[in-house]
Amino acid sequence: MSQYKIIFTGPVGAGKTTAIDSISDVPPVKTDAAASDMTKNRKAATTVAMDYGIMNLDDGEKIHLYGTPGQERFDFMWDILTVGGIGLVLLLDNTRADPFKDMQFFLDSFGKFISETSVAIGVTQMDLSSNPSINEYHKYLQGSDLKPAIFSVDARVKNDVSLLVQALLFSLDPGLEGE
Amino acid sequence: MSSKDSTPLKIALYGMDDRAYKTMCMYLKGPCKGIAVVVDEHEAEIDLLDADHIKARELLDQLQARKPNRPLIILSLEEILLDGTIYVKKPVETADVLAALKLAKVSLSTDKLKKAKVIAKPETEQKIESSSPPIPKRKKESVTEEKAPVTKNIDKEEKRKVSKHRTAMDLTEGGFSAYIGNVDGINFSDHEQALKASYNPKGYFLGYVQSALKVCKAKGRILQLNSGWKPLIVFPHSQEIWLDVEDKQLRAFAGVAISKNGAKAMSLTPIDQSKFDIKEKMEGFFDSDHFLWKLAIWTSKGRFPDTIDINKPVYLMQWPNFTRLVVTPHAMRIAALLIRGPRTAMSIANALNIKPQYVFVFLSAANVLGIVGQARRQVDELIAPPEVKPTKSKGLLSRILGRLRG
Repeated sequence: MSQYKIIFTGPVGAGKTTAIDSISDVPPVKTDAAASDMTKNRKAATTVAMDYGIMNLDDGEKIHLYGTPGQERFDFMWDILTVGGIGLVLLLDNTRADPFKDMQFFLDSFGKFISETSVAIGVTQMDLSSNPSINEYHKYLQGSDLKPAIFSVDARVKNDVSLLVQALLFSLDPGLEGE
Repeated sequence: MSSKDSTPLKIALYGMDDRAYKTMCMYLKGPCKGIAVVVDEHEAEIDLLDADHIKARELLDQLQARKPNRPLIILSLEEILLDGTIYVKKPVETADVLAALKLAKVSLSTDKLKKAKVIAKPETEQKIESSSPPIPKRKKESVTEEKAPVTKNIDKEEKRKVSKHRTAMDLTEGGFSAYIGNVDGINFSDHEQALKASYNPKGYFLGYVQSALKVCKAKGRILQLNSGWKPLIVFPHSQEIWLDVEDKQLRAFAGVAISKNGAKAMSLTPIDQSKFDIKEKMEGFFDSDHFLWKLAIWTSKGRFPDTIDINKPVYLMQWPNFTRLVVTPHAMRIAALLIRGPRTAMSIANALNIKPQYVFVFLSAANVLGIVGQARRQVDELIAPPEVKPTKSKGLLSRILGRLRG
């Protein structure tokens, strides 16, 4: 059976773990838990240094939800993570000093993967900092080839994360209808 | 390759916490096919430093003082060129790491790196620069470097505006009619009738709210729209609207055409704070875009605004912020299709195999936000839009979609 995955990325604190938790059918394997597991169990399968969840489909297929570690020091994993990925969910924290810079960094870093698949962007913490607005994110991207879905997202709210992932899927194929 | 060549390099890691350290161990073992193995500092032949670590400078100085002749690989987001080091740019690619390790291995025997700085690339791209004083090209701050959380503009009152940050209402076809109400006398299944199903936004509350927003924005003033019903206050600077009303009341008012007498009652005045205390009713605050979107849906009831020529293509400038809007049936599909290029409303309905009223209501709502435009280029009318070709993994994507929608 093939390994299908959706990649969640973004800077530290943007809500990747929480977003995966919102739509995962199993308690997500979190980075910290994985690290402590390492000391007890040295099996390779448990030594993930990223967040991980699963969505079970009706036919038994599993969609793997991977959250990239936010720190740059982990980014040697990114090219491995994206192999076989369906698409990218980029989460940005609106309370950070320069969310546009964050967005550009991740869009550049995953540029090849995005060009082969698609990206949907969720902006978190907008209830704490409403600037930049969603419109300003769109304006920032004017002139680039990208016209991604950009939504305000509360990563704790399943509906928000679900709509963001749905936008990613429709970007890949607007003709989709849920089964 | 001789057996000696296949012996893994012994490498020591610096500037990594436990998680990064363990991940790098696995990375060398897996994708790098065991070319190097992580050992303690005293056993190592080469060193590898994550230069984005907060104490990287200090670690680098210590390494260069303690082991001046040991090859050093530096990982960093920004290019760092130092004598006797091999630089690997982040995000790191396996080919670059392998090239760096190979260079390090060569340098162990030849001492080649002592007076050179090297950017690790696969062999065809490898670049070795001549010796010169070290000029680290570093910015003070990198994008996602781990550091104390940077926060700004935290507005405590913002959290109390619960309506503004409420999550989307996702409507199905079944709930759609009940939500928006019906327009008598229009059969949307009849193509000819559907093409005549227009309305003039100016004749409804929607038109007056749009007009009030424009005036407030132009004047830069907070003003109150009086309609003989509930007062509505426009905050142009924060792009907010305040209205103390329940959805069902607003829906009923939105769908009724304003009579001539009703139009006379409309006025825009300075805010009368003696009549109500806004701060006591923070839930009355709405983002103006979200408010207009909802109002447009209830005004449209499945019709299109007469400001759009329904026979000509339209285009979508950006995705609506769907998580904070009422998501009408097929709205996301329509947005995903229209963002790819201009189409007529009927072409959208045909391509997605949906009723035109779902397209009309989307266009009504997107139109009030100013994110939909009428295509003016002749080519958009002459050339038929491309077919929607299903992706190879359509079945899988549909199953994921079905799962997300429960």
